[in-house]
Amino acid sequence: MALLNPIMRKRFRKFKTIKRGYYSFLILLITYVMSLGAELFVNNKPLVLYYNGEYYFPVVKFYAGETFGADYIAEAQYKELEKSEAFKSNPDNVMLFPLIPFGYNESDNQLSGSPPTTPDSRHWLGTDDRGRDLLARLIYGYRVSMSLAFIIFIISYIIGIFVGGLQGYFGGVIDLSFQRLIEVFSAIPFLPVLMLLASVFEPSILLLVVVFGLYRWIGVSYYMRAEFLRARKVEYVESAKSVGASSVAIMGRHILPNTITPLVTIAPFAISSSIILLSSLDFLGFGVPAPTASWGEVLSQATSNLTSYHLSVFPAVCLFVTLLLVSFVGEAVREAFDPKPYFRHKG
Amino acid sequence: MFPTMLGITVVTFAILQVLPGGPVEQAMTKMRFGAQGGGDMGGASSSANSQIDDEYVEALKEAYGFDKPIHVRYFKWLTDLVRLDLGDSWFYDEPVMDVVTQRFPVSIAFGIFSLFFTYLICVPLGILKSLAHNRFFDYATSVLVFFGYSIPGYALLILLIVLFCGGSYFDIFPMQGMTSENFSDLSFFGKAKDLVMHMTLPMTAYIVNQFAFTTMMMKNSMIEQITSDYVRTAYAKGLTSKIAIGKHALRNALIPIATGFGDFVAVFLASSLLIEKISGLDGIGLLTYDSLLNRDYPVVMGVIVLSSVAMMVGNLISDLSYTLIDPRIDFK
Repeated sequence: MALLNPIMRKRFRKFKTIKRGYYSFLILLITYVMSLGAELFVNNKPLVLYYNGEYYFPVVKFYAGETFGADYIAEAQYKELEKSEAFKSNPDNVMLFPLIPFGYNESDNQLSGSPPTTPDSRHWLGTDDRGRDLLARLIYGYRVSMSLAFIIFIISYIIGIFVGGLQGYFGGVIDLSFQRLIEVFSAIPFLPVLMLLASVFEPSILLLVVVFGLYRWIGVSYYMRAEFLRARKVEYVESAKSVGASSVAIMGRHILPNTITPLVTIAPFAISSSIILLSSLDFLGFGVPAPTASWGEVLSQATSNLTSYHLSVFPAVCLFVTLLLVSFVGEAVREAFDPKPYFRHKG
Repeated sequence: MFPTMLGITVVTFAILQVLPGGPVEQAMTKMRFGAQGGGDMGGASSSANSQIDDEYVEALKEAYGFDKPIHVRYFKWLTDLVRLDLGDSWFYDEPVMDVVTQRFPVSIAFGIFSLFFTYLICVPLGILKSLAHNRFFDYATSVLVFFGYSIPGYALLILLIVLFCGGSYFDIFPMQGMTSENFSDLSFFGKAKDLVMHMTLPMTAYIVNQFAFTTMMMKNSMIEQITSDYVRTAYAKGLTSKIAIGKHALRNALIPIATGFGDFVAVFLASSLLIEKISGLDGIGLLTYDSLLNRDYPVVMGVIVLSSVAMMVGNLISDLSYTLIDPRIDFK
């Protein structure tokens, strides 16, 4: 595997020595993994529930309202349950809520004023215009935007590597005809395509990811095309050909591992531009379907609630810090994988 | 070049035409709502109504040209285009060309400002940073560059508006539009001040990302040249660094930046949808977006044609400016 050869190990060691980039990477990784378990920190369901002598774990398991003596079979409304007589009648009954006891799509009906409310001890970052806890929405929004950016990154890389590789390896007519098609394709405006597909299929996160992936492979294919064009005339490819290696083997086993440098160095920038584009689409209302938590959606609320500073400052800071960390990682990766010598002449 | 453009127009035209919610559908929805509001006469009159509906729909389709198949419509649009006629906007009831040119002031403001900013700030800053690589000046200005990388322009604009436009803090800049209502009554300096006050925030947001990218591109390009062999040779034969760097290295380092040189053709079409939307500026980006929402296809197609032409002419000028900067490049 390419990951195990000495050059790559050396580059990873180099990356680790660039502290700013390495720690940014660790922060992003840890916060993202934590956000995948956001239900344990931010939730309107209790972590543990002790009811009439039995333990329940509502975060990981579904309990119907009937279980706790209510008269509905839908999921139990734990906050109402906590206040109900049936629950209070037994003094041993306890509910343990997470650190932030609000769901990302839960309108709080005990607000201090009319939403959006400013930060207070109940809602640490305030609430949005529907009375939903802003911190909860920002945390779930982080999970959504990082996940989507990552999935789009994978889709666009798979398509881009495939198309660019074929173009570069075979060259000639295949290359030129693909290149013309790509030119046309990249000039088609994004929004009408998204609107068209959203009207044919149900608007969903999956659709958004697919449309994004369809557009964002183009940049990757340019890099791959250039790398393959260069590599196909190099001796090691010629000698592989002369011993009768198949085209598939040459492309996959010989050239592809050598193209890893541009692929790795542009990856952080691909991620950060996806995050920006997704948030812009959410801002316009064409992004992830409501009520999915999203930073762009909070920012769009800010434009109609200019006096509520928290609606603009907190999501903007989230975007800023995330993108800053990603660009620190990008800078360090570039330094580790593609070092540019620098020296000063004494003239 | 032209086959590519033909391809772009064919695909875009097709997508726009099959997009649901077109003008005929819009008119029908309006009519249906009108009929419901009109009265609850019951089933008796409904067949008569649908008769009128059908005739009306046919008339509507004819008015918008939807009675003909899609390829006929496309070729009509294309033959008009060859005669330099982009057709009439359905929404504004004006020729598309007029609708677009009305939006030029905002685009020109965006375009010219970012052009000046790129060449007067980003290029010199990039050069200075390359010379001061890993020294104090480089680190200090990198803070600005990383800021530019990391804050999306529209998010910065919202922050600036909250801070400076009288929401809850300072009340310095007006929130929306390009000019005040009494603009025509103002003196020349009054007009200039009014424009500056209105455009400061959107312009800042418009250039913030571009600033980071262009500066870093210039810096990296310059470093690549400074450390190359021919500059070492220049020093070795005794040239001063003023000539070795200022003349030889700089000229080569400018080549990647010259890609953007052709952009000044696109000055008329410079736009940013989000910034125009937030600041209420009537620019090309907002026009295209609104036209798309209104399904005003002639305008959308018109903007796409104009911007592809601007892009092609711009590329041509970029190529020509390559040969000016680097005589080794020729396209023969």
